[in-house]
Amino acid sequence: MIKELLSQLFKKPATSKYPFVKAEVPEGFRGKQVYDANLCISCGLCSRDCPAKAIEMVEVDGKRSPLFHLDLCVFCYQCAESCPRNAIKSSEFFELAAINKSDLVLKPEGNAQKGKCEQQ
Amino acid sequence: MKILLETNKNAGIVALTGLDLGKTIGLMYHMYTNGVIVTVRTEVPKKKPKIQTITDLIPGAQFHEREVADLFGVIFEGHPNPARLVLPDDWPDNLYPLRKDAKIDEALAKNETAPSKAEPTPAQNEGDLVNIIIGPQHPALLEPEKFSLKVDGEIVKQVEPRIGYVHRGIEKAAEQRTYLQDVYLVERICGICNSCHAACFVETVEKILGVEVPLRAQYLRTIILELNRLHSHMLLLGHAGLEIGYETLFQYMWRDREPVMDLTELLTGNRVISSAMTVGGVRRDLQETDVPKIKTRMATLNKKMDFYHKLFENEPSLKMRTQNVGVLSKEDALKLCVVGPVARGSGVAIDVRKDEPYEAYGEIPFNMITRDEGDSWARLIVRLDEVNESINIIDYALDHMPSGPFRIKVPRVVTAGEAVNHVEAPRGELFYYVKSQGTAYPERVKVRTPTFANIPAFIKIAEGGNIADVPPSFVSLDPCFSCTDR
Repeated sequence: MIKELLSQLFKKPATSKYPFVKAEVPEGFRGKQVYDANLCISCGLCSRDCPAKAIEMVEVDGKRSPLFHLDLCVFCYQCAESCPRNAIKSSEFFELAAINKSDLVLKPEGNAQKGKCEQQ
Repeated sequence: MKILLETNKNAGIVALTGLDLGKTIGLMYHMYTNGVIVTVRTEVPKKKPKIQTITDLIPGAQFHEREVADLFGVIFEGHPNPARLVLPDDWPDNLYPLRKDAKIDEALAKNETAPSKAEPTPAQNEGDLVNIIIGPQHPALLEPEKFSLKVDGEIVKQVEPRIGYVHRGIEKAAEQRTYLQDVYLVERICGICNSCHAACFVETVEKILGVEVPLRAQYLRTIILELNRLHSHMLLLGHAGLEIGYETLFQYMWRDREPVMDLTELLTGNRVISSAMTVGGVRRDLQETDVPKIKTRMATLNKKMDFYHKLFENEPSLKMRTQNVGVLSKEDALKLCVVGPVARGSGVAIDVRKDEPYEAYGEIPFNMITRDEGDSWARLIVRLDEVNESINIIDYALDHMPSGPFRIKVPRVVTAGEAVNHVEAPRGELFYYVKSQGTAYPERVKVRTPTFANIPAFIKIAEGGNIADVPPSFVSLDPCFSCTDR
């Protein structure tokens, strides 16, 4: 009992100071999707296989591209697995809380810039 | 059925599956004898679905029959309590959701405009007995279920459970999705034992397809399933401390559970919902660099478990609340067909991992933990010992990991056929039945979760005990209502 007490007294707290110290996630964590329009061949397999029906195929500059509804997404990454060209990749970004539902829509065209913002 | 029971005293019911066969409703009684599942089939006409109850032979079949009565409209003649179990009280009559011709959207739209027929039944006191209702919202239960207790002073005389508050219709939803999507759907039946649900489902589909997954995938699945068991057992042991009023135990246990969650994240890509299983193997391989990380954490955890062993054996306040409280005798455990650590705490030696080894369990040596006391303490100590066994299984599996592929390609369209399968989830035996018609969509998916089988035992445990002992003895069953309701 006393031994336990003393050992606990000099230990660091078990909790982490999360918002101030960023939590680290291991490699291969299933975070927010990163979509590469250059690799996409508009096959729509991702949309067809999505168990949460979170991917909608929309027309962007005459090309059918996936639109991710992150509020529906269950982050199983079946889309990335089904994609024949590896156009969908995972990122380590997990802080997805938003005030509006419209913020949680990953539009295909603005994706490249968005991804950059988050890295900064 | 009678013959089966007469020839084998240990036979119990695993599940009762209803199946819409067009003009008739098929009923399948999945019975458990000597580690094998025997299925007895019968059919009743859809126009007049009536059949004799089997609750007089097997009391544990009560809940199963009530569920089928709700979802398929089969009337079980002679059932002691044929009230609704999973559907809400204001659900329209003659609408049975799992029948293929049920027009649910239409009926519900009509029902919404009509005033609700269901009136809350006021707590009525019968004679000297006082009715106390625990739930649907209650601080001791983290999930919404209702238990009406009839008490005489401090002593509980009668318990009446009502489940179905979080019924999501996953069995129906699974029929409208492909096999590939269903893996992720069934995984979400229960957050805690998610890998077990996914593993059981993919194994069932693999049985229909007749494919054998590579050995490496079997070992990887075993590791993921054991990590799942570790974190589930530690969650429960901590939660038991909370219900007893021993919050330090809760804090310590959950702190030590955190490395297990981190390992799950490392191995699968997410802390809780692992999404690691797929038909034909696992979705990602184990990195060689991760092996030492897992091993060191397992060694630390093993050391910490010694501390908890001493604590559970010696701590007087913990023993006072759990020893000789909520005793379930071996006879009752067999009669009520309970599963998992609850059965093993009462001296019934059943464990699917031993009885019918799946994945790599046939090759890995481990002990089945049983206790004869049958009280809350025995059920907790069984889990505590199983944590150590799980650590050993993971260590052994890492040492003997075979090389080779971790998944094989399987067709999306599953050949016509049906299969049953069961795995040992942290809470007990988890049972799946899948029927395929030769398309990409399953015809029927039936899930029997461990807690569904264990709730009848709670009635037995609570009756005759104190009201104050209801939450701790209830928690010792490790109830999970998201599982139960599906």
